[in-house]
Amino acid sequence: MTDGDGSTPHVHSELEVTHDFFELWLKAYEATYGKLIDVPAVGPTRERAEKVRKTVDTTVNLYAAWMQSVANFQSVFAEATRRTRQQTIEQATEGSPPVSSKDYYELWMETFSDTFKEFLKSPAFASDLGHLTSLSVDYQKCNQEMLETNVMKPLAIPTKTEIEEINKEVYQLKKTVRDLSRRLESLSEKH
Amino acid sequence: MASELEFIDNYRKFLRATEVLLEPREIMVATTPSDVVLTEDDMKLLHYKPRTEKKATDIPVLMVYALVNRYYILDLQPDKSVVRKMLDDGLDVYMIDWGYPSGADRWLTLDDYINGYLNDAVDKVRKLSGKDKINLIGICQGGTFSVIYTALHPEKILNLVTLVTPVNFDTDKGLLHVWAKALDVDKMVDTYGIIPGDIMNAGFLLTDPFRLLIDKYVGLFEKMECERDDQECLTTNEQTVSNFLRMEKWIFDSPDQAGEAYRQFIKDFYQKNLLIKNELVIDGQKVNLKNIKVPLLNIMAQLDHLVPNEASIPLNDAVASTDKDMAVFPTGHIGIFVSGKSQREIVPKITSWLIPRSKSKAAEKGSGGPAKPEEG
Repeated sequence: MTDGDGSTPHVHSELEVTHDFFELWLKAYEATYGKLIDVPAVGPTRERAEKVRKTVDTTVNLYAAWMQSVANFQSVFAEATRRTRQQTIEQATEGSPPVSSKDYYELWMETFSDTFKEFLKSPAFASDLGHLTSLSVDYQKCNQEMLETNVMKPLAIPTKTEIEEINKEVYQLKKTVRDLSRRLESLSEKH
Repeated sequence: MASELEFIDNYRKFLRATEVLLEPREIMVATTPSDVVLTEDDMKLLHYKPRTEKKATDIPVLMVYALVNRYYILDLQPDKSVVRKMLDDGLDVYMIDWGYPSGADRWLTLDDYINGYLNDAVDKVRKLSGKDKINLIGICQGGTFSVIYTALHPEKILNLVTLVTPVNFDTDKGLLHVWAKALDVDKMVDTYGIIPGDIMNAGFLLTDPFRLLIDKYVGLFEKMECERDDQECLTTNEQTVSNFLRMEKWIFDSPDQAGEAYRQFIKDFYQKNLLIKNELVIDGQKVNLKNIKVPLLNIMAQLDHLVPNEASIPLNDAVASTDKDMAVFPTGHIGIFVSGKSQREIVPKITSWLIPRSKSKAAEKGSGGPAKPEEG
């Protein structure tokens, strides 16, 4: 299923054309507007502006990785379709083609399931998944920081960061109380 | 013509299945009666009410399930309940319900789970039963916790049973093992805090997307082939749908994960594989599996796609126990708990292994010697 280098095989699909177009757009973006994002912000709203810019940047990065993943899945889908067709022809040649829709469904399910499993097992997919997850978390983090800085703080709404700090205090207090209770219990058992 | 007739037949099945699905029903799980004997934050310790007057042994059993998904897969429905079957076999059964982490639980570590909640549950069971040592049954990640606990607190455990338990994480047989290696868990925990259960679910579904997202549901409709006046078939359909919905409830009842514990589990287990190398450190203490000298029964599922056998088998060589056994059953990760084989073969295997090993004098209060099955 995978090529020698662990990558997915190159099967042309309509989505790959879309992906190629997106890559072209991304290169143009990085050479033009993308550069503007790296210009240091100035003035009193500097921090807020930087948060917004960073969010735009992480959104573009996430979208690029997402497009790559979708294109990879589309390639595997095309390969699974090719294998299903091939098996149907082979079965027909052997004189036992799938007759009912149930027969065909079972052939389709088995072929698609096996083909996708091969893909999902590849180191290339693991790496792509890790990369996509990482970019998705970057996006989440940037959004959170941007909202906290630009919306929640000005409106005096408690932020996740602040709540996390309180939660940490609560956790440490509970842990201390529990440790002390255990020590007291142990002491009272001894006496 | 044949294909048109087939289409009509399939459509008829679809309509019948829809009729059955639309009937009002309450999906009950975890129906075996129990008392909550300890509550600590979200954790609850359940003590099941006995179902038989004859006790097979005085030594209680504590069952430890994973943090992922819920403990009640062991008590999904009366005719598919590991707990009920053990009670029927005369065991005194306790169960840890980890609950749903939220808020301050984001900071809970593996030390809090193992030396905190699990240790307190073990102590409570020892206190209530009046026994110094108890039997521990760990399931999946709960089995990993039980192994660590037994290595750290061997004086409190009489026998250890592990079910579909990973200890060796350096394998490419399971997709989760492959994917976890490329995960930037620091970034995830620092951002999410508490890891959403939906992320875990997405990962599990991705292990076999076509079977789990399509074929499973098509299979349900396939089973609905009754004529309207065939009452027996309609009753079977009702049972099939109820069983299916019970399992669906369990599968998607996925608690969020405490961030710090999740971070350590992914890094120290999946990425560095420290446990089997005896290099894992919990609260400053090195976990040495050679400290495990108690009898061990290690149960695996041959078709397990989440915890491949390669992840469980090395446990038997890693421990110092002289009385150790392993059994592999031809079923999947979940089949261990809910299949017909579970009731007919797996639970009987556990009880028949545990009971003779729970009659030693070492199990009595005040004795600390090594446990050996009673002769004769």
